[in-house]
Amino acid sequence: MPKIITLKIAGTEIKADEGSTILDVARTNDIFIPTLCSFKGLSNVGACRLCMVEVRGVPRLLPACATTIVEGMDVTVDSPKVGKYRKMIVELLLAERNHICAACVSNGHCELQALAQRLGVHHTRYPYRYPRLKVDASHVRFNYDPNRCVLCTRCMRACEEVEGARTWNVMGRGINSVMVTDLHQPWGESPSCTSCSKCVHVCPTGALSEKGCAVGEMVPRENVFTYLKSMRYSGR
Amino acid sequence: MRIHDLDGLHDIRRTGLMKLLPGKPRIGVGMGTCGMGNGAREVFQALERELERQGVDAQLTPVGCFGFCAAEPLVNVHIPGLPLAVLGEVKPDDAAAIVQAIALRQPPLEKAICKIEEWDHLTGHVMYGRGLPELPHWNEIPFFKGQKKIVLRNCGLINPEDIEEYIAVGGYHAFYQATQKPNVTEIIEEVKKSKLRGRGGAGYPTGVKWDLLSKTVADQKYIICNADEGDPGAYMNRNEIESDPHMLIEGMLIGAFATGASEGIVYLRAEYPLAVQRLKRAVAEAREFGLIGDNVLGTSFCFDIKLVEGAGAFVCGEETAMIESLEGRAGRPRPRPPFPAQKGLWGKPTNINNVETWCNVPVIVARGGAWFSEIGTAQSTGTKVFSLVGKIRNTGLVELPLGTPLKNVIYDIGQGSPGGKRVKALQSGGPSGGCIPADNFDVTIDYESLAQIGAIMGSGGMVVMDEDNCMVDVARYFVEFTHSESCGKCIPCRAGLDQALRILKKITGGQAEESDIQDLEELGQMIKEMSLCGLGQTAPNPVLTTLRYFRHEYEEHLRARRCRAGVCEDLFLSPCENSCPLHMRIPQFLELTKEGRIADAAEMIWLDNPLPGSTGRICQHPCESQCRRKTVDAPLNMREVHRFISDQVFGGPLLDEVRTRLAGRRMAATGKKIAIVGAGPSGLAAGFYLALLGHDVTIHEAREEAGGMLRYSLPQYRLPKDMLSKELEIIAGLGVTFRFGQKLGAGVSLDVLEAENDAVFLATGTWKAARAGITGEESPSVWHAIHFLEQVARGEPTQIGQKVVVIGGGNAAVDSARTALRLGCEVTIAYRRERQEMPAIAEEVTDAEAEGVRLQFLVAPQRVVTDKRGRVTGIELMRTKLGDYTLDGRRRPMSTSEKIVVPCDNIILAIGERPDAEPLRRFGIHVRENDTAAADWVTYETNRPRVFAGGDLVTGASNVSSTMATGKAAARAIDHILTGQDRLPALLGTFDVAQAVPPEPEGGARNVSEEMPAAQRRANFAEVMRGLTQAQAAAESGRCLRCDVRETCSAKE
Repeated sequence: MPKIITLKIAGTEIKADEGSTILDVARTNDIFIPTLCSFKGLSNVGACRLCMVEVRGVPRLLPACATTIVEGMDVTVDSPKVGKYRKMIVELLLAERNHICAACVSNGHCELQALAQRLGVHHTRYPYRYPRLKVDASHVRFNYDPNRCVLCTRCMRACEEVEGARTWNVMGRGINSVMVTDLHQPWGESPSCTSCSKCVHVCPTGALSEKGCAVGEMVPRENVFTYLKSMRYSGR
Repeated sequence: MRIHDLDGLHDIRRTGLMKLLPGKPRIGVGMGTCGMGNGAREVFQALERELERQGVDAQLTPVGCFGFCAAEPLVNVHIPGLPLAVLGEVKPDDAAAIVQAIALRQPPLEKAICKIEEWDHLTGHVMYGRGLPELPHWNEIPFFKGQKKIVLRNCGLINPEDIEEYIAVGGYHAFYQATQKPNVTEIIEEVKKSKLRGRGGAGYPTGVKWDLLSKTVADQKYIICNADEGDPGAYMNRNEIESDPHMLIEGMLIGAFATGASEGIVYLRAEYPLAVQRLKRAVAEAREFGLIGDNVLGTSFCFDIKLVEGAGAFVCGEETAMIESLEGRAGRPRPRPPFPAQKGLWGKPTNINNVETWCNVPVIVARGGAWFSEIGTAQSTGTKVFSLVGKIRNTGLVELPLGTPLKNVIYDIGQGSPGGKRVKALQSGGPSGGCIPADNFDVTIDYESLAQIGAIMGSGGMVVMDEDNCMVDVARYFVEFTHSESCGKCIPCRAGLDQALRILKKITGGQAEESDIQDLEELGQMIKEMSLCGLGQTAPNPVLTTLRYFRHEYEEHLRARRCRAGVCEDLFLSPCENSCPLHMRIPQFLELTKEGRIADAAEMIWLDNPLPGSTGRICQHPCESQCRRKTVDAPLNMREVHRFISDQVFGGPLLDEVRTRLAGRRMAATGKKIAIVGAGPSGLAAGFYLALLGHDVTIHEAREEAGGMLRYSLPQYRLPKDMLSKELEIIAGLGVTFRFGQKLGAGVSLDVLEAENDAVFLATGTWKAARAGITGEESPSVWHAIHFLEQVARGEPTQIGQKVVVIGGGNAAVDSARTALRLGCEVTIAYRRERQEMPAIAEEVTDAEAEGVRLQFLVAPQRVVTDKRGRVTGIELMRTKLGDYTLDGRRRPMSTSEKIVVPCDNIILAIGERPDAEPLRRFGIHVRENDTAAADWVTYETNRPRVFAGGDLVTGASNVSSTMATGKAAARAIDHILTGQDRLPALLGTFDVAQAVPPEPEGGARNVSEEMPAAQRRANFAEVMRGLTQAQAAAESGRCLRCDVRETCSAKE
């Protein structure tokens, strides 16, 4: 039996297993902490920084997804400062690529869109960058539109950690980072891709979608990993 | 050659010492990358040839770098029995003389900068010899004074490619000692006791880190040396490895032994080829000597070192990114926890330390943690190596005890900015660090103090910046760097830095809005607090610190579209134009003059500067200090060219043409009435522009004639008053009405002016003399410079006596001195600092001296000496000496006990002027502490709406062009408010000027006008400078390099 730890999150006293992260505990107790890169069943990379929280006595902000709980911890999940910063991050994302909901397959099912609505982001103070990234529609079943990607790397982790194919990776660095398949070859020609579709169903936005979806029709499957086991070799 | 025990080590030590002190002359050539870049290899070869040719028996050996980069290539020469002589700036041509001297067993003193009699290597000691009294000790010359060499203990003295020389100075003995400890925890305790903190910048206690690793149980542990030194301006680690690679290996050996690691990895930049080569060689040597490998020194300890060349990603300096990189992935950081000590390289416990941290370890083991902790401050112990670069005379590697005040580094060791410019700031810690303004240079260098002012210690890069550096551009430069080095993993750093860079580029490009500063600040704060790794968390530091300390520069870019430093090229025409307070289009009027289009040149000059004849004679000409021609030969004589043009106008038929052209520019009458108080240069400039903009202008002046200080203070021999009158006629001719004998508060009331006019501009100047506060100052024989000069200017008789002492060093002092001289006096100027610090125009000082004015420096007035009848007989002066540096980079004049009395019958105090603030206060205008009027620095509007103030009244006593510039700026703002449009740029218009750059610099040497000989001019008030001739003016104009022309090269491609 793991040791039980008592802590406070958003003012509520909670008991939880030792070794869990703040995010785990918050989710189990229905306390909302925004996230984008985190996905149940995949490793945590601490990349989106949306889950940053304040812990009493710690001068720095801490990522809820990568911080394990400690006895007596007092966590504030949405202080005014953190709220302001989260909004800025969502605005930065909206300005970074071409997130045009009205023309997006994931409209209505997009985590970025939902997050913006929940955090009250209705416009962005930063000018749009309008990158012109090439859409890869070479795969028979899936589309990849990097213009809608937020670089959360869920696809990469799902591919590597669950499927073991390692098709996805990040190319370039900084603002020029972009997700690519294999050595930046067309997805449809990828020798490593098993077409398992895990990446498509973990994608928070419309960057990865199933072919044949029109605006708003791409609905990612809940509980994707259990579902996909049966799908593994059926495709292509 | 394997060493098995202490005896083996001692044997090698003896062999090594025979190399260090071979019993014959030894020449060491500093062969670091820095030395080689300056020609050390050629020097080495030349010495080799000369030794051969002259048949001299000496040992020639490469050594590392001794740190004094400004004096590279460095060569040290040791002749048995004598001190080691360090020679600087040695050229291959010097080889013959050096070898010749050595042949005679004499050190070559000609190039010697210092000597070393004995050297404490801390792990060993070398006695070179005593003597050479003519040479200063190494730690007596400014660059080395105050330095303490712990990390650099061997650098520049031993051959880095020879393990025996390292062992000779006690190398690997500390490691041997460590292996003899009964318990490894003793080593860790010693490191803890030393309070050594990570030298990569974060400052985490090394002993604590080691303790964590040593207590972790694992089948495999790693230690890593972080040598991925990537910040611009930093090269400490490169030099440490190039000059003394074995100290790093020994440090890592001790660390591995203490923590139980069996493998060490040095992650070294591939861009450091020499360091890679030397370290590889050193590792091979150490392996050959049985110091790494299996069963080291006959013990059961096994350890190997692997060298990995980093592929050049700055982010790999971040430990988790480095681990990713070592595992063969792209360098991107992982979240911590888990920390490397728990789960590092290949999932095994790992300890990462910076090069310099490792290099301190052997000394700590050899001398003890207690010894080490005595150095530095209580919390920041030991020393730190800094690379001192940028706008500094003595560049180089400096090792200092922590806790040293920053100003010692900048002014004592570095000797300030070359060319005497003011040091403005220091960037410490590279792109992750902060800008420290000169006002904060009394901060001590330690982890806590630097963090407190928003900077970081960082790895040790110190980039010095002076007044020619734009702080907004500095921030842009560093953000551009971190932006391109960001790995892209986390959003704040990836997308945040991109937006921050976009805003910075908008500001430097003159496109920004006021809200941009706030957006930038918020972004910076967010990136700092939200980013995943050290790169993002520190990347905003340059922005945040420049915003904190240099906000006015951001505001200047935003509001005035101006880059004072002359860096942001979109904001100015050319460096000279940018430095000119009036922004005269200098390269363009030079081109017009060169083409012989004098009327066009005259029109342009008048539009830019309504008093070109006066300024052409007396301006401080900041343009010359910025002129790029000085890099070819000498700066352009721009001031005298525009004087030439104005002289052409006043001397002939051009006058009517210029008047007609200016009148033709006058805009339609607006019906707005403006009152100006004060007919000095500022009021005149405002009046000129407001009249041309179509307003109805009246200037109220307290005195009988217009001109202000130009008429009543500037001596006739510098500025003939009939010329000034002609300039004033042009202004009056444009419709400006003058009313004389109208003093603010007496004849004119501000309330009335405000009621009767649409706007009021106050420019009443600084006519109150500052008091010296010395006894006897009230005597009628003690004058204030402005009163004296005014009396002479009015042609009134003055009882100035025979012998005069002038106190002060500004233009008023020199003017008073030369005026008194012309009245037949014997004159001495007494100034409390030195000549180069006199604020007066340098040429004026030279001229005064030529005429026979005596200059006495480093004296401060004490009291007026009088006889029994109260007549002045002299002035008592106290000799001052220059003490330590103040924060403005000048040395403080300190009192001494020595006093002298200079006999004289009259004294002129020229120690400054201030405005008469009384009338302003009475009318409710906000006045600053120094009695100047408080006005906006762009529009010059005061707290009373539509009441503006400018000139010396606002800035304090300044100079003619600066004062006119405030009038010009106020005129623009007044017009903008009254008409709702910014019309001044349209009034100034554009001229069709040829846009071509001479392929080669033309025009030969600088042309200077003929001067009346000193003997002839000292007895009268005739003008001294005769002005350029037509041929000279044309030739001088042709010297211009046309920095205003952009985009010609691409057209030719």
